Amino acid sequence: MLIIENLTKVYDNGFMALDNISLEIPDGQFVAIIGLSGSGKSTLLRCINRLIDPTKGRIIWNGLDITAATDDELRQIRRRIGMIFQQFNLVKRSTVLTNVMSGRLGYINPVYSLFNYFPPKEKARAMAALERVGIPEKANNRASALSGGQQQRVGIARTLMQEPEMMLADEPVASLDPATSHSVMKYLELLNQEDKMTILCSLHFLSLARAYSHRVIALKDGKIEFDGHPKDIDNDRFKMIYGEDAVEVEIH
Amino acid sequence: MMNTKTPMRSNQILKRIIILLIIAVVLVVFSYGWTVTDIDLAVPQEPQRQENVGNALRELLSPNVFTQDYEVSAYTTNFRITCSDSEIIPPTTPSDSPYIVVEPTCGEGDETVTVFGYNLPANGLARMNWIGEDGERRIRQVNGENEDNFVVRDDGTFSVQIQVPRIRGTTGEIHTVELQARIPVGLPRFSNTTNLVMEKMIETIFLALIATAVSILPSAILSFMAAHNLMRPIRAQFGSLMVSFTLLPVGWLLGVLLLYPVGQFAFRLGSENVLVAFGAVVVVIAGGIVLLPRINTLKDLIPIVIVRRLLNTALITILILFIVGLIGGLGELFRASFPRGTFANVSTFIDDIFVYMGAFIGSLGEIIEFTLQVVAGLTGAFALSSLGTSLAKEPLKKTDTTFNHLLGGILGALGGAILLGMTATIGLSAAWMGLLTPIVAGALATTLLPQAYRWFVPKPEVPNQTDRNILRVLAWTSGVIGFFVTFTLLNVGQSLVEGMLPAQQPVLTINGANLYQYVAFAMGIGAVFGGFAGGLGGVRGTFPFGSAIYNTTRTILNTLRSIEPLIMGLVFVIWVGIGPFAGVLALALHSIASLGKLYSEQIESIDAGPIEALQSTGANRLQTIMYAVVPQIIPPYIAFTMYRWDINVRMSTIIGFVGGGGVGFLLQQQINLLQYRNAGVAVLAIAIVVSILDYASAAIRERYT
Repeated sequence: MLIIENLTKVYDNGFMALDNISLEIPDGQFVAIIGLSGSGKSTLLRCINRLIDPTKGRIIWNGLDITAATDDELRQIRRRIGMIFQQFNLVKRSTVLTNVMSGRLGYINPVYSLFNYFPPKEKARAMAALERVGIPEKANNRASALSGGQQQRVGIARTLMQEPEMMLADEPVASLDPATSHSVMKYLELLNQEDKMTILCSLHFLSLARAYSHRVIALKDGKIEFDGHPKDIDNDRFKMIYGEDAVEVEIH
Repeated sequence: MMNTKTPMRSNQILKRIIILLIIAVVLVVFSYGWTVTDIDLAVPQEPQRQENVGNALRELLSPNVFTQDYEVSAYTTNFRITCSDSEIIPPTTPSDSPYIVVEPTCGEGDETVTVFGYNLPANGLARMNWIGEDGERRIRQVNGENEDNFVVRDDGTFSVQIQVPRIRGTTGEIHTVELQARIPVGLPRFSNTTNLVMEKMIETIFLALIATAVSILPSAILSFMAAHNLMRPIRAQFGSLMVSFTLLPVGWLLGVLLLYPVGQFAFRLGSENVLVAFGAVVVVIAGGIVLLPRINTLKDLIPIVIVRRLLNTALITILILFIVGLIGGLGELFRASFPRGTFANVSTFIDDIFVYMGAFIGSLGEIIEFTLQVVAGLTGAFALSSLGTSLAKEPLKKTDTTFNHLLGGILGALGGAILLGMTATIGLSAAWMGLLTPIVAGALATTLLPQAYRWFVPKPEVPNQTDRNILRVLAWTSGVIGFFVTFTLLNVGQSLVEGMLPAQQPVLTINGANLYQYVAFAMGIGAVFGGFAGGLGGVRGTFPFGSAIYNTTRTILNTLRSIEPLIMGLVFVIWVGIGPFAGVLALALHSIASLGKLYSEQIESIDAGPIEALQSTGANRLQTIMYAVVPQIIPPYIAFTMYRWDINVRMSTIIGFVGGGGVGFLLQQQINLLQYRNAGVAVLAIAIVVSILDYASAAIRERYT
């Protein structure tokens, strides 16, 4: 269970990205977070694993207060929360295998990292993760040589190394074409169903949210505009979230 | 309509006036520049100067690169002084071998005769000699001109007119007419100057190579400290930082006392005996393989955190010193194992290589031996202070409010006193170094007023611009006040004006170490500033540790970079004497500053995505740098290192002007001796080497960026 209480984030330039947000997300839910650019989707996700320190409020996950964790405790917590990104955030010059294995760093003795050494069993684990996302043959390619969809699958494989209980996905398909988008979303659905992973996924397209999520949270100007089942979003709600001029686009 | 048009007009007029004003100002600036730089177009047109520069350029552009060996051969014929019928000089019969004929074959002194030559080396340089019966050789000028030498024609013949010398009482003597012809032998070869230039050029290239290589590691380390994207986010708890700061000297002492003997022991193990050294290496490697994977099991073995951390730190520091000492010892052992002549019966070349390598690896070992004490001190200082930080952090977090500020005050005072004590000790070295203490004191004081303000006005829940502006103004105010207070109290102004060092009366002497009044005063100021800052902020407050390191590193790099290597060369020549060593040191120091800046800019421009991604997996800072930063910066680092080598070769060609070795020294010598043809060789060599390196480094850089 993830509990967010009165979460507020004001950036140093005075911009209020999140305005007193409270949420409860039960384990195993697939939550889509939608909203316009700048509505606070990325900030909300990054506050949960404290890539961004919130200004105010508390985030409690399975009884652990993430907002009050010390550096060491925070690393322990982050190991169990996977995250994938719009720009994939792979090291482009490193091999796919190295990129995947680097997801395991939180578990590995830091002294090994000085010598760029991974134990053999971690290599095996990385190969298994790559097999799961369907690209084991790319293990020794440079990450930059892969297509966008493949890179995002490497990103998913990297989080699999963490054996996460929750996955934060920050617009994972915004840089991909529609067909590839669905393939990546299907992997997230698989993780949700097979591994019982809680998934928080910010999305641009409402149609994707409708197709994959149990629950949609819509943000507008840092506030929750809508929180409910995807099919409850009718045309009026849609216009409230995206503005009067918006028209819904289907993505197949 | 009129109302809106008029201001438009006046606006346009104003714009034109401003443009005119700008033109006027530019004109004034450039005319002043023209005068200041002594530009006088009449000077270069003076005939004398034009001739001089023409000669100098001609010689520079006719470099004395090649030389040629010659063989001089002589061919003779006879001549009778005063003609007579009784003796006939037999005519020379034509043949294939070189010969000369004189016509007529007899005559008086001062008569002009013609000499013909056949089958001689074409275009060879030749001269005529007259040899009397006294055996004396007299050079004859040819064709009545003021010229000794003449050139043989293409077909190997010549004819010249010479004068019979008038020598008293030689009537009836038979004299010899001799032709000396100069024939080139073998191919043209490099002149001595060229050989010397090539030797110095190799020295130059290696000077640049060593200077660049030496600078890579320090500048790579500095570049991380000078990259704002890595340093800015690092904030440390004030209390634990102060604990670590005050533990630095303690750790140093412990390191020197306890770790130094370990290093010395390892050095002896490594240097004395091959068998013992081999055993030590095997033990270290085996120990590493066995122990390293089991470090985590220590957790279950020793449950008390403090004891475990202490043991961990002790083990790691001992291991570091042991390995460093062992490496140094092995270096010494290497040099001792291959003295000159070890491989003499195999090949002198291999023998030479081992002697060079022995000298190099041996001196690396020596460097380690010299610096072992410093390494031990530093290791101890850093280990103890990082141990102190991590142990103090959590307990300090839980201190109650009163204790928080009280402890903050005490630790702040201690830290401030140590900091300003250090700067004041540096300030004792030179008058202008005295400025360091007020500057650092000012930086320390910047926290005072903002924190005092915060004491009364609590931090707004939502950050706002007004609050930030107030803090900024207060920080500047208190910084400037802090600077001037320290400046006045320490009487820095007087020592600046008089160029004198601060008075050095010791107020306290412990074990022969003096505490000077000046330093004590500075420590007092540091204690007051630090005490207030720490007391107001409290031990739980955060300190922008990363920004402090970033700013300090940037300042040092920028200052170093602004000093030209030639000036650094001057200082190093005084320190280590004239020669390439001084050049290496000067170029290395400048390269550290320059590469440090270039490298850090590369770090600042990397893709931040992977850093964020690895942080989100729970990797620590070191791991994030190893896996997200390092792979991204290796190619530009290689490119910039090549570029720097290129620059260093160019700079090392002139570092010799101040005595820094390399081809520059030779160039300066030849210019001072007005030997422009020899100087031309050096200039040509520099041009060739620089352009080859330019091309090579550009090609390599292109591949890596």
